[in-house]
Formats: sequence, C-alpha cells, structure tokens
Amino acid sequence: MPEPTGATPGPGTGRRIRRIAWQLRVVFLFAALAVLPYLLSYSQQEIAVLLVINVLLVSSYRLLTLTGEWSLGHVVIMGVGAYASALLTKRLGVPVPLSMLLGASMAAATAAILSFPLFRMKGFYFLIGSFAAGEIIRLIWKRFTDPFGGPKGLKRIDPFPDIDTGFLSIDFYEPVNYYFLALIVVSASLFVLYRIERSRIGLTFHAIHWQDRLAESVGVDTFRYRTLAFVIASFFAGIAGGLYAHYVGAVNPTRFSVDQMVYVLVWAIVGGTATFYGPILGVVVLTVINEIVLRALGLDTARPLIYGAILILSVLYLPNGLESLGPRLRTRWQRWRSGSAAGRREAA
Amino acid sequence: MSRKSLHRKISRRKFLGTSAAAGAALAATGTGLPRVSFADSHTIKIGFLAPLTGPVAAWGKPGLDGCLIWADWVNAKGGVSIGGQSYNIEFVGYDNEYDVAKARTGATKLIKEDGVKFIMMLGGDTWAGAQPVAEREGMLFSTLLPSDLSPDSTTLVAPCEVHPIYNVTGVEWLAENKPELKTAAMCAQDDALGKPSVATYLAAFEAAGIEMVDAPLFFDPATTDFAPVMTRLMAGNPDILCLDTCYADYVHPLCEQAFQQGYQGQIISCTADFYQNIIEKTSEEFMEGFIFQFPDFDDPALNSEEINFVNPNEFYAEYANRYGASAWGAVSWEYASIMDLWADAATRAGSAEPAAVLEAMKADGTGKHAFGTADWWGTELFGIDNALVGNWPVVAIEGGKARIKAFKSIPAWWDQHKDLMIKHMTDLGQMWDQQG
Repeated sequence: MPEPTGATPGPGTGRRIRRIAWQLRVVFLFAALAVLPYLLSYSQQEIAVLLVINVLLVSSYRLLTLTGEWSLGHVVIMGVGAYASALLTKRLGVPVPLSMLLGASMAAATAAILSFPLFRMKGFYFLIGSFAAGEIIRLIWKRFTDPFGGPKGLKRIDPFPDIDTGFLSIDFYEPVNYYFLALIVVSASLFVLYRIERSRIGLTFHAIHWQDRLAESVGVDTFRYRTLAFVIASFFAGIAGGLYAHYVGAVNPTRFSVDQMVYVLVWAIVGGTATFYGPILGVVVLTVINEIVLRALGLDTARPLIYGAILILSVLYLPNGLESLGPRLRTRWQRWRSGSAAGRREAA
Repeated sequence: MSRKSLHRKISRRKFLGTSAAAGAALAATGTGLPRVSFADSHTIKIGFLAPLTGPVAAWGKPGLDGCLIWADWVNAKGGVSIGGQSYNIEFVGYDNEYDVAKARTGATKLIKEDGVKFIMMLGGDTWAGAQPVAEREGMLFSTLLPSDLSPDSTTLVAPCEVHPIYNVTGVEWLAENKPELKTAAMCAQDDALGKPSVATYLAAFEAAGIEMVDAPLFFDPATTDFAPVMTRLMAGNPDILCLDTCYADYVHPLCEQAFQQGYQGQIISCTADFYQNIIEKTSEEFMEGFIFQFPDFDDPALNSEEINFVNPNEFYAEYANRYGASAWGAVSWEYASIMDLWADAATRAGSAEPAAVLEAMKADGTGKHAFGTADWWGTELFGIDNALVGNWPVVAIEGGKARIKAFKSIPAWWDQHKDLMIKHMTDLGQMWDQQG
C-alpha cells in the first residue's frame, strides 16, 4: 500500500479537520448559549431556565430508552430528586448544592429498588409497570402530609444560595444567573451522558435494545445493564428535579403527574431518539413554539389546539423525528444539485 | 404516474408547507418580540394570572371574560378616578395552565414587562410559584382560595371568594329546610382544592347533625371513569351526595353517573359550572333541588340594596350576549367583583401603587364585598386577616334554573362552630401552619 504523499491529505488529516470543525461547532454553540439570555425578555429568561432543566430531563430519559424500555415514571423520578433535595434543605439544613446531589442519589437509589420488580417485565408491560410504580410514589407524597406536604406539596424551598464575594455578587433569584448555573450543570451532565452512550456500556445498551437474547447468549447480564441505564438516567433526572425545586421554590404531586410525563414522551418522539440531540431538538422546538411563539401571537387559549396540530403533523410527516429533517434536507439538496448539474451538462 | 413519484410529489408539497409554516412562525416571533405596549399614560394595567387552558380553565377563562366586560363598562364611563385623574383599565392575561413554574414566569412577566399594578390569580397550587415574586416585588395579589393566605404573604388578599368556608352555608340551609336529610357521602379530588373543602363540609355536616355514612372518598385528579366512584358513594345509601369542590370536569360525569345509577336523593356541591349541560346530560327532574354556592347574576335577589356588585343583572345579560348563557360559571363575576373593590380602594388611596391600594382596601377593617359589607378576617384560620368574609348565597336549581334561596352569614356560623372547623382542618393537615 503506497504511503500518502505530502501533497494529498490522508485520512488522518480528514479526521483532524472534522475534529476541529466539531470543536468549532461546540464553541459556537456555547457562545450562542452564553449570549442567548441577553437577547430575551425577563420572562423568556425564566422559560429558558426551565427549558435547560427539561433538556436534561429528556436527555436522561433517552438513556433509558437506549435499552429499548420506555418508562412512564421518569417525571416521578425527577420528583423524587426534587422532593429529596427540598426536604434535605428544609428539614436538615443541608446546603443546596449538596442536597441536589443527594437528591439525585436518592432518585438513583429509588430506581435501583424499582428495577427489581420492573425489569421482570418488558415492553408494554414495563411501560404499565413504571406508570404504576410512579403512581405509588405520587400517592405516598399525597398521603403523608408530614413530611411531603400532601397534595399541596412543599413550599418555600430554599433557593440556591447567593454568591457575594465583595466584588462579585450573584443573586440566583434572577433568571439569567440561574440560567447560567443550570447551563453549567446540564452541560456537564450531558457530557457524561454522551460519554456513557459512546462507551462500551452504551454499546451494550444498544445491543440489549436490538438483540437482547443474542446479548445474553454472549454473556451480557441484561438485567444488570438495564438496571444500570435506569439508575444513571434516574440520577440525572434527579439532578433536573433539584434544579427545578430550588428555582421555582415549590413542588407538588401534580407537577410530576403522568400529564407531565406525556410532555417528555412528546418531546422525545417529536425530536426523535435515534441521535443524542434528537430529544433536545424536540424539547427546544416545542417549548419555543408553545411558550414563546404562540404566546407572543396572543394565542394563549388556542395553544393546546395548535400544539396538538403540530404534534399530529410532525408525527405524520416526520415519523423519524425532527432529527431526521437535517439529513432529509441534505439529501434533497444533493439530489437537486446533481439534477441541475446533469441538466447543465445536457444543455451544454 | 408511479406510486413512488406520487409519494415524492406529496412529500415536496408537505415540505414546502412545513417550510412556510416555520417561516411564518419565525416571522411572528420576530414581530411579536419584544412586546410593544400601546397603553398610554392614562391606562392602568391589571394582571390576570390564571389557568386559561387545561382542566382548571373553567375557573380562569370565564373570569377573564367577565373582567373584559367590567373594563369596557368602566372605561366607557371615563375610567377609574385616581388622584384627580381618570384612568382606563386594561387587562393583561397570562395562562399559567395551573402550573406552579408557569405561575412564576407569568408573575414576573406581568410585573416586569407589562407593568401591571395588581394581579388576580385563581391561587391554589399556582400561588406557591408566584409567592416569591410577590414578596420580592411587593406586588398586590388576589386569590380566590384563601387557603393560600399565610402571615408570610402580606400582599396577598382573598377579597371575594372565601373558599371553602362559604360551603358551610349550603349545608346549614339544607339542615334548616330539609331536616329529614340525616346522612351524607362525599367525594373529592385529592388535591389542594379538594382537601380543605372536605374538612369544611365535614365540619358543616357535624354542626348540622348530619352523619357521614363513610369516610370521604378521595379520587385521583387524573380519574376519568367516575362509575366506580359513584357506585361506592351510593353504596351507603346516603340522603345527601356531596360533590365537594370538584372541578367542572368531575362534577359533570359524577352527576351523569348518579343519574345513570338511579340516585334520587339530594346533591350538594360547591359549584355547578355550566349546569345547563348537566341538565342536558341528565334531566331537569334529576337536577331539581341541586344545591350549590354560585348564583346566576340574572337572579332578582341580587337587586337588593345590600349587594355591592354593580348592575348584576345587566352584567349577566351582557355576559350571555357575548359568550352564551351556558358559558356562565362560578368565577364569571368574581374577578370583576374584585376589580370593584380594587377600583374603590385605588380611588380612596389616590394611587394605584400596590401598597397604597392594599392599605386603603383594609383601612377600616371592612370592605364592600359583592354580597354586602364584610369584614377582613382570618387570623384564626389563615394566620392573617386578609380574607373578606360576610354573607354568601345558597343556590338551588329549580325548574332548570339556578335561584338564590338565601344569603347566610359565614361569620355567624364561624362564631358558633369554629372549633369544629379547626378540628377538621387540622385533621386533614390544612391549617396554615401545617402547610409544607
């Protein structure tokens, strides 16, 4: 095999270019995210905070779906993180950053316990089982006013502590400040989720999804890997719950009902779950349409109707999700270019 | 044309349609943001932060519709006189979908971007989201649910509906007028609205000597099949079915189920929103004598001198004209009546600033409630005297139409039976100092 000459770029050069291009895209993305809140109104900054938190929620949900299981209890698991973090600060005076981590750990521990009954089931049965498990947790919050606050939930949850070093003062009541805090936490979490998916463990998740019997035949313990996916996804959902609770200052069982879970499913389905960015695309596009565009148009009361129409249209015309839109457009563009080039050649 | 090429053609059309829709949406975003206020310096904006969509919308949207009538009437008369200057009133609505986070977002938008001077809320779960904003900004808020009140929230008032305390008046009237009714069964959705109402009804039944045949049945708010709920309620053969403060989405199917399962006794409920629809689904005979707490405002009893609501019959006629008579609900008049109180206080204060209006509102410890002069009250139950409490009507459906049967005094009942109320509220963890 001849050695590549210096005049023609080899495969290593191509990889380097692609890597630099990828890094540039990441830098550009973070620059855009850093500038974004300053282009928004105050209330839109609030929406941006909740959007960033929901990005983590739906991305963590995708990790679970990698093993082929779709849960209806993920929002409740987020609630476990929110409730645990809120109670740790309210009752035990644990500092908020630590309580968020402990809350997330509690969510992960809950998932670990639930995995024993739930992963005896698969597919549709797992879906129903996860719903039932979530409802049990919600009923516990409702029934036990002490410590969970009953149907009214918990109020006056400690906010993230302000930072005041004399020359630097950060008040996390301000949405722009909390946006950056959430952005840092969520970015770090997404990086971890991304690395997990690209690792051997992530490949095993995929293998379990598509060929679980085959995976078992080569020695993969599918129960352990499913549990691992569930626990990791729940940990990050718990982080999202902690971020939510200490920003909004209140949690209640209704906030983590199956109605909210439907939104997560919709984000994932409309965005697509084949790629890492698919669900993120779903939550961003649908939130912007629902919370910013339609409100700006003064269509407050018509939003459910329009939102529903958008969902139906996207499922009909983009069955593989928004993530498939880019490749489809690219294919069409290439087809159009090759078609016009052929036309030019014919004309010549 | 081959099947494949046909498919491709449709796809292109779909693609173009999608692109056009996306373009329109982007253009709309561009033109819609930032919001431009056309209000001049002689206009005062009032925020309306309530569920306008979703299952609780029945207690938000009709209220905003009523406020629009109120604003049109007041503005047509030259506006509200404040400090020697007349101001038009403009309502700015925000749909919080009964979601705590959206309530926070809505509150900040209304205060920081729209510059409102007063915000009306339904309250309940959503107040927890707006509470930090209210405290930070010092904004005057109103709620229809005084269980939101606490000593920590000094700028929150409940100037119209003292839910669920007024429910005692319906039970008291039943006990006085139908003494043969001795037993009751009750159900409620298991949420922040259902539980304090259950405590109230339990106190009212106990005070009236009416015995519960079973413990209150709490159903999940996600319930859609009410047949088993009704079956269990009727199992004890109660004289009275109490539907507590169920949302309209529950009251309607519960009544349908009671009808289908052959119930023939008395029904009492906090609300009977859009009751004409219930009558259509059941029968006029079945709904005869149904007791609830919210009158239609074409009721002649509202023309009494004690009533402070301005032109109630005309208001109802205008409401029916604009939105249809069947759109009238429990809250159609309530937010408008709060505006009467706010306008009166702002005029007396000579200022629309929240602190000044609040001070004027509570100046002599009484206020002009829609159903007559009432007292600022609530320390024993809410930890703060920010609820305006007086008389409340008891309404019965007669011949397919809601009619006021009596006005009963809430303070009079409280003076006699407050221990019972506090006991049941405490048992269900609903006292202000028991909240999470």
